[in-house]
Amino acid sequence: MPILEVRELRARYTSSGPEILKGVSFEVEADDFFAIIGPSGAGKSTLIRCINRLVEPTAGSIHFYGTDVTTLPGRQLRILRRDIGMIFQEFNLINRMSVMDNVLSGRLGYTGNVRTLFRAFPRADIERALELLQRVGLQDHVDKRADELSGGQRQRVGIARALMQGPRLMLLDEPTSALDPKISREVMGLIKTMAEEFGVPCLCNIHDVRLAMEFCNKIIGLQDGVKMFDGPTGEMDQAKLDQIYAMEVL
Amino acid sequence: MSTFRQAAATADVAWRSRAADQVLDSRRRRRYRVSTFVMVLVVLVVWSVQVTIIDDTDWERMGSLQSVLAAAGEFLAVDWALFPSLAGPAVETLMIACLGTLLGVVICVPAAWFGALNITPYKPVTYPLARLMMTLSRSIHEIVWALFFVAVVGLGPLAGIFAIAVRSVGFIAKMSAEAIEDIDHGPVEAIRAVGGNGFQVMLYAILPQVLPQVLGVIIFEWEINIRRSAILGLVGAGGLGLVFFRQLNTFNFAGVTAVIIAILALILLGEVLSYFARKAVI
Repeated sequence: MPILEVRELRARYTSSGPEILKGVSFEVEADDFFAIIGPSGAGKSTLIRCINRLVEPTAGSIHFYGTDVTTLPGRQLRILRRDIGMIFQEFNLINRMSVMDNVLSGRLGYTGNVRTLFRAFPRADIERALELLQRVGLQDHVDKRADELSGGQRQRVGIARALMQGPRLMLLDEPTSALDPKISREVMGLIKTMAEEFGVPCLCNIHDVRLAMEFCNKIIGLQDGVKMFDGPTGEMDQAKLDQIYAMEVL
Repeated sequence: MSTFRQAAATADVAWRSRAADQVLDSRRRRRYRVSTFVMVLVVLVVWSVQVTIIDDTDWERMGSLQSVLAAAGEFLAVDWALFPSLAGPAVETLMIACLGTLLGVVICVPAAWFGALNITPYKPVTYPLARLMMTLSRSIHEIVWALFFVAVVGLGPLAGIFAIAVRSVGFIAKMSAEAIEDIDHGPVEAIRAVGGNGFQVMLYAILPQVLPQVLGVIIFEWEINIRRSAILGLVGAGGLGLVFFRQLNTFNFAGVTAVIIAILALILLGEVLSYFARKAVI
């Protein structure tokens, strides 16, 4: 039974603009670590942003644990988003807040407006945040401001924030593109370890094919909004890669 | 061969003469244009001097040059005895500036929210509404605002506070809205992705990014508001301006100078405070 079922997903940003996704379908199982690869402009970012509806799809359906995401109204959509963690290419931390506040912001979906105003998170949340910070190796940086950290450290905060939600799915949008190769490998390793430990399936946009092959068990190849490949990492070979990236060669 | 050269030379001379005529002609026309313009200007200046200064000045009351200098000289004296009684109005002026700025900031919250294109709730209505508020606030002079509020709530500092508040909205809201339009969208996306609502997005993703800039603008406006509130008393809206008006009306020119010195001191104090406040913010 797949936890996420995407059917004939289409998306465009403006009614007259080009169609970014042209009917993409795929399924994610509970223990998958999916890579979405493809050239720039293929629609990778749009695809994963449709799943938590940071981008509104124009047609198709997305079923997450049986609920159709595409039709949820405001409040229910926010409840759904609590279950989906997201990690961003540019980290998207609140720079002027502390590492602790950034990790705690993962709980905002569970926090009322008054508590938000006073940053009055329950003790259990704070303890959980500390535990996660320890796990990602930032126990010595709890009170530092986010903009004082290095790129690799910031992405670790991003990972802790996503896990703080207690997610049932994680969306990773090029989590290592802003990092150097060595740190990229460490961060991917950390994400993979944590995802396995917490039993969270992942959907990961990545343009580094070698990292994708190394860390992911399944791959979707996207080209110009169309799915060109979908299968276990083992079935991917050079010929198929050439086909997916054909546009870049031209 | 030589005849051809001769013919060419003659043609050259003729062309040169014609060209010279043209150059001289255009210069003459230019001279006419400039002199006409200067003449019109002179007539306009003479006419306005006649109408505004010569006709409308009470020359008999002004008297001789001596009496003019004597009148100006009366302001050189300082009525030091007045100073103790200026403390109260000075504090009142400062309070009008502080409370007015504070109230202005409160009004600015919806104005900046509605006036920032990227977060305005309903663009066709709320955006023009906010822009209208900002323009109205800035295009009406604080004295005019004060006159309006004196008419509405009566004489006293409350009218001054309202005038200062309303006058402050334009600048603070405009700068804040522009700061909001320039934010990095990443944190907004992150807070929405964790399931945050609109209020949480504003508090976590927008406010921290614009806060230093907005505080700087508020402090700057507060400093200006001290100047503004110092004169609002002229129309009965409280503070030092009221004392100023009273001294002038009783022809106590030394007292007027004393009030001016008090206003200067207050403004200087405001500038020092705002310097340190701005340093603390940045």
